[in-house]
Amino acid sequence: MRSLLNFLLKFNNLIIFIVLEGVSLFLLANGNNYHNTRFVTGLRGLTTGIDRRISNARSYFHLREVNQQLAAENIDLRNRLEHYAREENSVFFWVTDSVYKQQYQHTSAVVIENSINKQKNFFTLNKGKRQGIRIDMAVISEDGVAGMIVGVSNNFSVAMSLLNLDFKLSSRMKSNGYFGSLTWDGKNPHEAILNDIPQHVTVSIGDTVETTGYSAIFPEGIKIGVVSSYKKPGGDFYRITVRLFTDFRKLHFVDVIGNLKKGELLELQNQYQ
Amino acid sequence: MINSIIRYFLIFLFLVLIQILVLNNIQFSGYVNPYVYIMFILLLPVEIPSWLLLLLSFALGLTIDLFSGSPGMHSSATLLAGFVRPYVLRLIAPRDGYESGSEPSMQAYGFRWFLTYTVIIVLIHHTALFYLEVFRLSGFFRTFARVLISSFFSISFILFLEYYRKGK
Repeated sequence: MRSLLNFLLKFNNLIIFIVLEGVSLFLLANGNNYHNTRFVTGLRGLTTGIDRRISNARSYFHLREVNQQLAAENIDLRNRLEHYAREENSVFFWVTDSVYKQQYQHTSAVVIENSINKQKNFFTLNKGKRQGIRIDMAVISEDGVAGMIVGVSNNFSVAMSLLNLDFKLSSRMKSNGYFGSLTWDGKNPHEAILNDIPQHVTVSIGDTVETTGYSAIFPEGIKIGVVSSYKKPGGDFYRITVRLFTDFRKLHFVDVIGNLKKGELLELQNQYQ
Repeated sequence: MINSIIRYFLIFLFLVLIQILVLNNIQFSGYVNPYVYIMFILLLPVEIPSWLLLLLSFALGLTIDLFSGSPGMHSSATLLAGFVRPYVLRLIAPRDGYESGSEPSMQAYGFRWFLTYTVIIVLIHHTALFYLEVFRLSGFFRTFARVLISSFFSISFILFLEYYRKGK
């Protein structure tokens, strides 16, 4: 007993170190599994209050820009409204289109905390479970894809940003329809990498890259960015650099999209896999 | 005693605020993420008991974690820095040892000593932090470049702060 006590006394620092380090690494390991940790959601609840205040203060500086954006959006929407009014007669066309759109539900939200300088970036939205946000919903800005929801609490939700090493998105080139997976390489917040496009395809710089809808999270045809350059490394595939439409530095108003028929789709897919 | 507790508390508060309000918002190419809060660990008195040092490191790391939404990352790196600090101090001890009750400051032991001390601790902390953040070895050298570049900015910033702290 005495020698045990002596041992503990002698190595007490090492023991404290190991115990605390163990706690940290435990948190870290679970933190990667972002949506599963109640702990994180709880802690986020504590800090979101402060974050929100910071964000509130910051939003004043953006007011001018936001106003311009809103005005532009207004004009755009008004134009579209006119368009709809005009097209209402050609019923068939719009029914098909609207059935396709019915698969998804839009709701708008505000980003209250955001980062782009880490390797695994997340942002927090001001809506949560009570407002109908669920895990695995898509988040888009008015310019393009922004991320996907990975955690929800009652009134807030956390989304994994496109600027996250773990983010993968099925996407295609608009001109020829070839699809691959889009990831971020952690270097530049304005660029992402499109992989898995075979080298016999002609890639044209300036081509729009959009989502495919295969993932059942993002609807089809949401814009992501334009091809800015491409390389042919060894192997069969291109490494295409995509310049993103969304400016993550200024991400403020976003749309959250829920896929109402996702359960049905997954069920069908599971039957054949 | 009470005085120095209050003083350290203020330093803690100042560094945490500067970290979460200013430095965490620096968006500069993804290579430059200075983490200056580690300066708190540098400044604690030489003779602080190791267990207290470890607890303070953990608390500091956890505070930063809460505000950057990265549970465990900063706490484990800062804890490591707190753990190695006594060994580093012993390694670079001046010839006639440390004065009792002194702080490891630029004022007391000179610029070169403080620079060595800061460089060692910051490099250890940043290396742990950046590798834990990506949690993979692919892109080893890119992460290493991020460690070096960010360390350079952190160290410069700490030296700058330490230089102006003399005035107090």
